[in-house]
Amino acid sequence: MGCWFSKKSKRKSPEKEPTPKTVEDKANSSSNANNIDLCSNTTEDPPKQYSWDKREKVDPKDFMLTGLKDATVGRLPGKLNGQQFVIQDCDNCKIFVLDHSATITIDDCTNCCIVMGPVKGSVFFRDCKDIKCVVACQQFRTRDCQKMEVFLCCATQPIIEASTGMKFGCFQYYYPELAFHFKDAGLSIFNNNWSNVHDFTPVSGETNWSLLPEDTVVLDHVPAPDPESEFKSVRVSAEASRSIVPMTKGGRRKESDESCLFVFFSGDYTTANARKLIDEASGKGFVLIQTKEVSMRPEDVSRVFQNDAEGLLEWITNGPVTALELNGDGVVEACKSMASDMFSGTKVFVSDNRNTSSRDVDNFFNFADMQMGL
Amino acid sequence: MRIARSLVTVVSSFRTQVCSCCCSIAHVTSWDNGSGFDMLQGLLSILRKLKSTPDQEVRILLLGLDNGGKTTLLKQLASEDISHITPTQGFNIKSVQSQGFKLNVWDIGGQRKIRPYWRNYFENTDVLIYVIDSADRKRFEETGQELAELLDEEKLSGVPVLIFANKQDLLTAAPASEIAEGLNLHTIRDRVWQIQSCSALTGEGVQDGMNWLCKSVNAKKK
Repeated sequence: MGCWFSKKSKRKSPEKEPTPKTVEDKANSSSNANNIDLCSNTTEDPPKQYSWDKREKVDPKDFMLTGLKDATVGRLPGKLNGQQFVIQDCDNCKIFVLDHSATITIDDCTNCCIVMGPVKGSVFFRDCKDIKCVVACQQFRTRDCQKMEVFLCCATQPIIEASTGMKFGCFQYYYPELAFHFKDAGLSIFNNNWSNVHDFTPVSGETNWSLLPEDTVVLDHVPAPDPESEFKSVRVSAEASRSIVPMTKGGRRKESDESCLFVFFSGDYTTANARKLIDEASGKGFVLIQTKEVSMRPEDVSRVFQNDAEGLLEWITNGPVTALELNGDGVVEACKSMASDMFSGTKVFVSDNRNTSSRDVDNFFNFADMQMGL
Repeated sequence: MRIARSLVTVVSSFRTQVCSCCCSIAHVTSWDNGSGFDMLQGLLSILRKLKSTPDQEVRILLLGLDNGGKTTLLKQLASEDISHITPTQGFNIKSVQSQGFKLNVWDIGGQRKIRPYWRNYFENTDVLIYVIDSADRKRFEETGQELAELLDEEKLSGVPVLIFANKQDLLTAAPASEIAEGLNLHTIRDRVWQIQSCSALTGEGVQDGMNWLCKSVNAKKK
């Protein structure tokens, strides 16, 4: 095994012959992962066995795509099952990872289209170029990348470093198992910070990232799987109306000054109700700006809902609330109508009037950002 | 001399609360009542040291490459929810009670661009915790290099180092012994060190590492 230290590194103390040490437990073979001789220079108890020492060893290659060219590859639903996945040195490939995973790293790839099912942890692109992808993850990171188009659902603020020509749009995808994969990965379809990207290496006078045009057709950029490929059995769609993650306007400029806060309290049909509202509101020409699914404590209720807080306290204890900001002239009155028409038996909060509704929106989403920031 | 050193610790922790690299206010959870409260806390801690009460404060620096799991580890140590963690832009700080110690843990962002700012946090560090993503083999060389440079730093000389071989829950994670060999940890002669395999996500292995840390602090403070 090579030495990973830099050759320029200088040790302060001169190199000496290693002094013989009393080894506590020579009974362990040299393949023991916790051989204390290697693990410490202080005397220790015999090495402990952890769950990773006891589990079946796997071949890392089964969880990697390496050095492929001009190929359509990936994993069908159920074939990854929450494990880690690694993609490296691929060129001109169409990659479909249609399952939930723990984390995905993508290194040294060029000219690839990649669809990634929900990732519980981070998606990290390094040294990649000309990539178009659909990604759902908890963290999104890039370093040393150029010219990427990302249709993103990210639970936290996406970050880029030393990357240029990065373009972002809202996640827009469907396949039959996708909703379950979101649950398996612990990701909420309502927590999507796709448009507020942090750049660790901003350049004055330029922007390294921008937002894709709102009318971008996803399948023009990230095509569906070739009908001759192993993925032909998966019924994929990238239509906005079918997308598992609701389309949000995010940071794009709002068309109207009038916004409305609509909050569903936790219940059996919260997700279905929220989607129903979104569909109905879209049909009336209103725009969904942002959504959040977040837990609230009693002390948060009065601060966020202020004068309307009374009566809401008991509703926040069952689980997280799902909040939406809808925008458009007349949206507040429309939301109040929809609440009484469609959700009369459900506990909801709707902004009362267009003069105070922006304050409702700010109070709620500022609170949610703080809550989820650390 | 001890009083002067303590005062310096209080003042320097004041100055570093606004991150110097990105000017973001640190997500400081243990000091959230304004600077008056901070000053009082700082003075009280000095008084406590003068009285030599058992609640000893330990300054821990938590470093490693970006995406290594530092913030997850920090949240795990504080027994907080780890299902929703955002990439660290400046730094995070938490105080954790453990085995009679008050651990002040500084978790600093690890992106390549902001590693030069790590040195702003070296002063008065009692223990260095270095976190490695054991499943990111592509970056083993890079993390080895950063660790080597840290161990060469004057301001960190002699400081015990606990290396967490993190993300052992992932299937392709390299075992701690393999990482120790690759990093040539056995050549470290100027300080005590330990490599500990763990999963910050599940918590497994974390307490074992912290037990060693507290023992090493005890040994040093004698």
